[in-house]
Amino acid sequence: MPDSNGRPNHIEDALIQIHTNCWFGWTDSKNKIYANLQLNPKIGVNNEIVNNPHSLPTEEVVNAKLKELQDAWDAANGG
Amino acid sequence: MSKTTIPTAGLADAAVTTAKITDANITTDKIADDAVTAAKATGLGISEVDNWRLSSSFTSDATPITGWERNDTQFDKIGTGLTHSSGTFSFPSTGIYLITVIFKNSFNGDSRYCEGEIMVTSDNSSYSVRATNSQNIKQTDSTTPVSSSTSCIIDVTNTTNVKFQIRMLVEDNGTTTSGSSTANITHFTSIRLGDT
Repeated sequence: MPDSNGRPNHIEDALIQIHTNCWFGWTDSKNKIYANLQLNPKIGVNNEIVNNPHSLPTEEVVNAKLKELQDAWDAANGG
Repeated sequence: MSKTTIPTAGLADAAVTTAKITDANITTDKIADDAVTAAKATGLGISEVDNWRLSSSFTSDATPITGWERNDTQFDKIGTGLTHSSGTFSFPSTGIYLITVIFKNSFNGDSRYCEGEIMVTSDNSSYSVRATNSQNIKQTDSTTPVSSSTSCIIDVTNTTNVKFQIRMLVEDNGTTTSGSSTANITHFTSIRLGDT
């Protein structure tokens, strides 16, 4: 979740911007690190439960997305 | 002279039959405080309570929401608990169940609606909306959060066919539905109220 001031600070902040819907989960939800990231096998679309069409992004892609979000937040907040 | 008292020792073990004990003869003050043990009190009280939460946030719609986990921090279900498979929840036994859902949404802008709904099927196939709410987001900060809730009582006459799902519909695809694996944010509670 973002910092209390709203600045993105975790890979989950990036993951929810990469794809919509409940496309990802964790092998250990108490330890949300990239190594524990997994695809949810099914997602709900238009009241149907379908196979998840997405694939796991690389760690580099996730980190780059997080940095993009942080840079945008910093720019919007005088950083 | 008639007898007014029969000493206990004067009663044969088989003398006081069930037929001689009528409801009116046993008053509450004749029952010792420790007379009703747990073994004799089965069937009383709440037999099923469960609590599930969205373990990670997501954006846009989810119809149904599939990313649930059972609350596992300082919580334990009562009874068997619900069964979950990709957003579909099944009941452990027939009965009347109360489902109460809390949603948290947020968006960096205005969003006309965030609709959280409980969908119920009675044929394990076709789902209908049985509870709905709608919350709008009027931006007051960079990312503005809102919370909402909805509930319904479901008559579960058949555990094979009566199931439920929860879905979220939002106006703007950038709207987040918030989840956590350590605290209840978007979550629901199921309580079995009684027999069907």
